[in-house]
Amino acid sequence: MRGRNPPSSGYSGTRVLRLPWTGVGGATRRRHLYAYLSILPAILLIVLFTVYPVLYNLDLALHKNVLTQPEQHPFTGTKNFADLFKNPGLRRSFKVTAQFTALIVVGNTILGVLIALLLNEKFLGAKVLQVLILIPWAIPVVMAGIIWRWMFAGNVGVINGLLYSLGIIDRYYSFFGNPTAAKMTLVVARLWKDVPLAAILLLATLQVVPHELYDAVKIDGGGAWATFRYVTFAFLRPTLTVLLILETLIGFITFDLVYVMTGGGPADATTFLAWYAFTEIFTHLNLGRGAALAFIIALLTLVMAMFYFRTLRSEELYKE
Amino acid sequence: MSRKKRIFLYVASAILALWLIGPILWIVDASFQLDNELFSVPPHWIPHNPTLDNYKFIITRVPPPAYDYDPGIIRMGHHASGEALAAIPALKNSLVVSTATMALNVAISVLAAYAFSRLKFVGRDASFFFIMMSRLIPTIAIAIPFFVIIDRLHLLDTYLALILVYLAFTLPFTIWFMTKYFDYMPPDLEDAAMVDGCTRFQCLTKVVIPVVAPGIAATAAFAFMASYSEFLFAVLLTKTMASKTVPVVLSAAAINLDASYALASTTVVLAIMPPIIFALIFRKYITSGLSMAFGK
Repeated sequence: MRGRNPPSSGYSGTRVLRLPWTGVGGATRRRHLYAYLSILPAILLIVLFTVYPVLYNLDLALHKNVLTQPEQHPFTGTKNFADLFKNPGLRRSFKVTAQFTALIVVGNTILGVLIALLLNEKFLGAKVLQVLILIPWAIPVVMAGIIWRWMFAGNVGVINGLLYSLGIIDRYYSFFGNPTAAKMTLVVARLWKDVPLAAILLLATLQVVPHELYDAVKIDGGGAWATFRYVTFAFLRPTLTVLLILETLIGFITFDLVYVMTGGGPADATTFLAWYAFTEIFTHLNLGRGAALAFIIALLTLVMAMFYFRTLRSEELYKE
Repeated sequence: MSRKKRIFLYVASAILALWLIGPILWIVDASFQLDNELFSVPPHWIPHNPTLDNYKFIITRVPPPAYDYDPGIIRMGHHASGEALAAIPALKNSLVVSTATMALNVAISVLAAYAFSRLKFVGRDASFFFIMMSRLIPTIAIAIPFFVIIDRLHLLDTYLALILVYLAFTLPFTIWFMTKYFDYMPPDLEDAAMVDGCTRFQCLTKVVIPVVAPGIAATAAFAFMASYSEFLFAVLLTKTMASKTVPVVLSAAAINLDASYALASTTVVLAIMPPIIFALIFRKYITSGLSMAFGK
C-alpha cells in the first residue's frame, strides 16, 4: 500500500507473543511512546467524528425516529430498511444516480486523457493552459454549481443567449424544466469541476513515459494508434484506475450540485441517492429512514471501493 | 511540428481555454452590470453601462442611486440584498475557519505521517488502514449524528465546530499524502542527526521539515481549499452570521428566486477569489505534490 516498509518487514523476527514495549531497553519503549503520541490527535478526531457517528447512525436507523412524533422511539429493527426497499422512490433514485455516475466517469476519463495529451505537447499554449486548468479545480463545488445554474438559466442564461444569438433557437429554452436536460446540466457542471484534476494527474503520469518507448514502437512499424495503445495507455492505466474510483465515489455522493442547481427536479429526475437521503431527513423529518438510507449509501460506496482496491492491487502485482 | 498540427493544437487550446474560464469570465462580466442590463435578450457580452455599483454596495452597504432605477434590484426588496450584504462577514468566517483548519491539519498530519513513514510500531498498519477507510464514509451518512454530537458539546454555530469537523475530514487525505512524501525521502540525513544525539521530535522539526517544505505547502493548500468548499456540514452546523460560511450564504442566494443576479454574481466573484489566488500561488507545490503522490 505504501512504498517503503512493507507490512511484514517489521515483525518477522518477533513471533513470540511479547508486547513490544516490554522489550529489553528503553529505546523500543520510547519509540512506541513517541509513535503513539504522534498519531493520537489524528486517531482521536477520527474516532469521535467518524466511528461514533457511524454507530449512532446505525442506532437511529434501527429505531422509529420521526421528528413530528418526538416522544416515540420504539426499536423497529429493519423496518426502516424494509420500507425503503418497498418504496419505488429508492429504485428510481438508484437508477438516476447510476446513470449520472456512468456519464461522469466516462466523460471524466475521455476528456481527462484528451486534455492531458494536449497539455503534454510542447508549445506555448500548453504552458498557459497548465495554469488555467487549476481554476475550475480551485472553485468550490457550490460556487461552480451556482455559476452553471446561471449559465443554463431560462431567463438570463448565457447559454440560451448564445444559442439565440447564433440563431439555433428562436426562444429561450428551459433546461431545468426538462428531465434529460436537467441531468445534463449537472453532468456538465460536474465535469467542468472534476476533469481538471484528472488531466493534471494524467499529465503527470505522461511526463514520466520514457521517450525511447515511442521510438521503439515507431521502429517496429507501429502507427499513432499502436503508440497510444501500447505505450501511452499502458502507462496511464494505474492513474486511470485511481480516477475511476474517485469519480465513481463522487457520483454516488453528489449532493451540493443538486442542492444549488436542480433541487432534485424536475419530477425527481435528479433525485440522486444523497439528495434523497437529505430530503428524507430535512424535508420529511424522518430521521430513522434517512439514517437507513445513509447507511445503504455508505455500504454501497464501501463495497465499490473495496472492489476497486482489489482490482488495483492485482493490477500492481501484474505489473511486477 | 507540422503547420497543420500547430493549427490544430491552437484551435483545441482555444476551445479548452474557453471551456475552463468562460464561465468565470461571464460571472465577472455580470458583476459589472445591473439587473436591467443583464436581462436583455440577447445578452450584452460587453456591458453597455459598466458599473462598480454592485461592489460598492457589498463593501460599503450603502445602496447606490442607480439601484433606484433598476427594476431588477428593486424587485428583490431587502431579503436578497441581505444575502449580498452577508458576503463580507461570511468571507471572514470562511477565511478564519479554513486558515485554522489548515494550520492544525498541517501540525497533526505531519506528526502522524512522520511516525507512519519512519517508525515500526505495533498497530501501525492497522491504524493507517483505519484512518484511510474513515475517508470512504459518505458525509450524508453521518450528518445527523454530527449534529447531535456538536449540539451536546454546545458548539452549534461556532467556528470550533466547523474546525473540528473539517479536521476529521481532511486528515485522512493529508496524512496519506505526507506519508507518501516522507516515504520518498531518503532517511540518511535523519540517521546522521540521530547519531549526533537528536531525538525523533527534534529530528522532525530541525532536519526533516525544512526538506519537505514543498509537501507541507501542498498539504496546507489541500486543507485550506477543502474546508473553504465544504457545504453540507456548514449548512447543518451554522445558524447565524456568527459562523455561516460563504457556501451557505451563496447557496441561499442561488435558490432564492427573487435574488438579484447582478448582486449575486458579484458575491460569487468575491467568494471564488481566495481559493483561486491560493491555487495560483501554490501551483508549483500542488502539481508536483499531486504528481508525486499519484505518479511513480
